[in-house]
Amino acid sequence: MKQLRPAILGCITLVVFCVIFVVPFFFIALQAVKDRQGSSLLNFSWPSETQLWQNLVDVVQARDYQLLLAYFNSTVITVFSVTGLVIFAAMVGYVLQRRPSKWNKYVNFAVLAGLMIPPAVVPTIWLLQQIGLFKTIHGMILIEIAYNLSFSILLYRAFIATVPRDLDEAARIDGAKPLQLFFRVILPLLKPVTVTNIVVQSIAIFNDFTNPLYYLPGKDNVTVQLTLYNFQSQFSTQYHLLFMNILLVTIPPLIVFIFFNKQIVEGMTAGAVKG
Amino acid sequence: MSGLELKKVCKSYGAVEVIKDLSLQIESGEFVVFVGPSGCGKSTLLRMIAGLEDCSGGTVEIGGEDVTDAEPSDRGIAMVFQSYALYPHMSVRDNIGFGLSLAKTPKAEMNARVEEAAKILQLTDYLDRKPKALSGGQRQRVAIGRAIVRNPKVFLFDEPLSNLDAALRAKMRLELTELHANLNVTMVYVTHDQVEAMTMADKIVVLNKGVIEQVGKPMDLYNNPATAFVAGFIGSPQMNLLEGAAARKLGAEIYGIRPEHIDISRESGLWRSTVRQIERLGNDAILYLDVEDVGSLTVTTDGQTDVVIGDMLFATPQPQNEHRFPTIAR
Amino acid sequence: MPTAQIEKKPRKTSGSPYPLWFFLPAGVIYGVLFLVPTFASLYFSLTRWNLFNSTFIGFENFLSFVQEPFLIKGLINTVIFAVSTALLKTIIGLALGILLTSNIRMRGLLRTIAFFPILVSTIGIGITFAVMMHPTRGIINVSLELIGIDGPGWLTDPTLALYSVAFVEVWRGVGLASVIFIAGLVSIPRDYYEAARIDGATKWQQFKRITLPLVQPATATVMILSFVYGLRSFELIWTMTKGGPGFSSDVIASVIYKQYQAGFYGLSTAGNVILFILIAVMVMPLVAYFNRREVDL
Ligand SMILES: Nc1ncnc2c1ncn2[C@@H]1O[C@H](COP(=O)(O)OP(=O)(O)OP(=O)(O)O)[C@@H](O)[C@H]1O
Ligand SMILES: [Mg+2]
Repeated sequence: MKQLRPAILGCITLVVFCVIFVVPFFFIALQAVKDRQGSSLLNFSWPSETQLWQNLVDVVQARDYQLLLAYFNSTVITVFSVTGLVIFAAMVGYVLQRRPSKWNKYVNFAVLAGLMIPPAVVPTIWLLQQIGLFKTIHGMILIEIAYNLSFSILLYRAFIATVPRDLDEAARIDGAKPLQLFFRVILPLLKPVTVTNIVVQSIAIFNDFTNPLYYLPGKDNVTVQLTLYNFQSQFSTQYHLLFMNILLVTIPPLIVFIFFNKQIVEGMTAGAVKG
Repeated sequence: MSGLELKKVCKSYGAVEVIKDLSLQIESGEFVVFVGPSGCGKSTLLRMIAGLEDCSGGTVEIGGEDVTDAEPSDRGIAMVFQSYALYPHMSVRDNIGFGLSLAKTPKAEMNARVEEAAKILQLTDYLDRKPKALSGGQRQRVAIGRAIVRNPKVFLFDEPLSNLDAALRAKMRLELTELHANLNVTMVYVTHDQVEAMTMADKIVVLNKGVIEQVGKPMDLYNNPATAFVAGFIGSPQMNLLEGAAARKLGAEIYGIRPEHIDISRESGLWRSTVRQIERLGNDAILYLDVEDVGSLTVTTDGQTDVVIGDMLFATPQPQNEHRFPTIAR
Repeated sequence: MPTAQIEKKPRKTSGSPYPLWFFLPAGVIYGVLFLVPTFASLYFSLTRWNLFNSTFIGFENFLSFVQEPFLIKGLINTVIFAVSTALLKTIIGLALGILLTSNIRMRGLLRTIAFFPILVSTIGIGITFAVMMHPTRGIINVSLELIGIDGPGWLTDPTLALYSVAFVEVWRGVGLASVIFIAGLVSIPRDYYEAARIDGATKWQQFKRITLPLVQPATATVMILSFVYGLRSFELIWTMTKGGPGFSSDVIASVIYKQYQAGFYGLSTAGNVILFILIAVMVMPLVAYFNRREVDL
């Protein structure tokens, strides 16, 4: 009896979790393969006719292949901003943790401010216009870096504290200059937290809606989340296509999650609790 | 091949003076050991020689050149850390060769030098492993290999053996002594283990609270300690140090006598005592005696002795081995 | 010869091995794109502004926020939304954390499932739930009907809309909260519980005397993060209700967007500043409280 309890508890929890957390996903997938009539009922009935491929083609072709463009834009934004985030945040976290200086308290304050203060939207647009970055992909990349730096720095700072200083000193005696020390000795050792950073930030940036909405308007600059938003009105009677679209833009984060599931959970918690 | 000279170096962290006006001359090819109690500044002094800590004052000269402001890598030194500080993401080969690769040494020469160092240290079979897959002793050797390959003028060691078990420590002690003989370079070695100091050193430097208590050959320190502090620090078991009335009766502020320099007898002697405790080590036995008006006394004697706890014994110091000191350590 | 020797004397080439210029790339991006607009917002919030010229009008924009009913509503809604989601995420997150660190089968799988909602974009979740909450055809009300309950208009009833969105926000964020709690819970040494059991503490006493105090850092993290997130929330509300019906579920963030769309840039920016002040006023005491508690431990 005593050994049975964990199993029973586990099964009950699994069922409850499935209903609460998985049913909505099932719902998305189900609607995505229905035809127009079937999906307009919005129910769980098994589709009389599945038309996965047809829906897929329809969504991709909609609005002059807007989804493909959006995929391209979102990928470019995500890849470049995450690369920048990893390198710049690691550099800050590293010096912040290693070198006590009178700057540290300002940097720490800036990190906290970045985590809490909501960005001032219109002044940012105004500024971006002044420096010619409004409605540009590289402007968007820089914005994503600026807004997500704080979180990455916290993760890195907590982790760098666990890298022994002896290594720095050994490398200095071996003749490493600051850049070599950082890129050849320290950065490789930060791999676990770098993976966490890449995964968490790439999902966040890929899924970002608000910032592209404000700073990246224009048909050519569309990102995946904006396609959803745009289609929401256009497809209000074509739920099967709307849900197919949701399904399609969820695939990249899902793949990332499946590969790095463990690191996300571990890394998030390590950084979050210490930070 | 070159010596090392410290001229009036000092180091303070804020208001705390860790090293005070310290001067020291180390000859070329010497094996010098810094000993002293925990927190006395041994590591700090070594790291000042390495250039990992700035000097608050004074100069450091290596091979006759003033290197006080030089980068660690420009001083012609190599250092072995207590934690070994091996780069975990690099193979043994890359660990040893890292310094050379930073110096843009040609590939062929680099490989040759790494392999030569590996041969000296019997690491040839492990060159492609990561440090994680090595034993403590092997890691230690990799750390030494990384030092050798730099061809330094001076080797610096900070308690390199303290993470090893007793047997391995004895073995590595011997290997290091042999390495020193083969390479014939200057070595500076920090430890708080006085056995390591006695067995390995050409010259011991006893540090206490940031100043040098005494410098000398191991046996000189044992035979003629300059201060009560050195007397208490060198030698095991510790020298008996008597103070107050008991010492004054013998004509000194502090009177010292080593446990191995006290004779015991059942019939007669200077001090009448009772045996409080016995530790039998095999070939030796250590007696802890209670002496009236003097206090506790440690005596080493033959391991086969038939003395038991509670026995009454007479203890007599050997007059030629007595030490008299003016006053206790600062 | 001797002069050549002197010249060879090594010089200190650089200062610290941890150069301060490492702060520079991040600092420039952050400073230009985050700090400058933040400071600029302090000025622009006091103006009537169309991006080209701004007229200084004093505190008029801020006065609107305490006078115009729809702006006041937004302010109140923001606080309700943030407080309710933060509390629920903390409580449910802790409960799930305890469940998922207990002796239970399929722990790994369950943890993964709870984390799943983070993957789907907020927009995707918003659309999905909006459809599921459809007053007549949505599966929630259809299911309720099966058991004889006449479900309300989750998103169409002005008194309910905000809470429906808050519910979805909790659903979305509770997985992350429980992951943070799990990390906090597993770091509590088992000895404490064993010692307490030997002392005869009941399960409830163990929870109150050991778990709760020792999981405090995780609680602080979850509380503060969810609270800040709740105050800044925009995406979910915007996709699910657009602040409606009417402005019954508007929050400051959606007001900022609406005013921006309408071209009231000064008013929109004032909304930003108010949100900033709100976060400062409400989160700082929370941070201070948790910091003090931690010292006590
Ligand atoms: N960064 C620092 N700031 C302030 N004080 C320091 C710092 N580093 C070392 N100290 C102090 O300097 C003194 C000497 O330290 P050091 O590490 O040289 O001791 P040690 O002789 O190597 O001791 P051990 O045998 O324990 O390694 C200690 O009292 C220590 O507290
Ligand atoms: Mg030390």
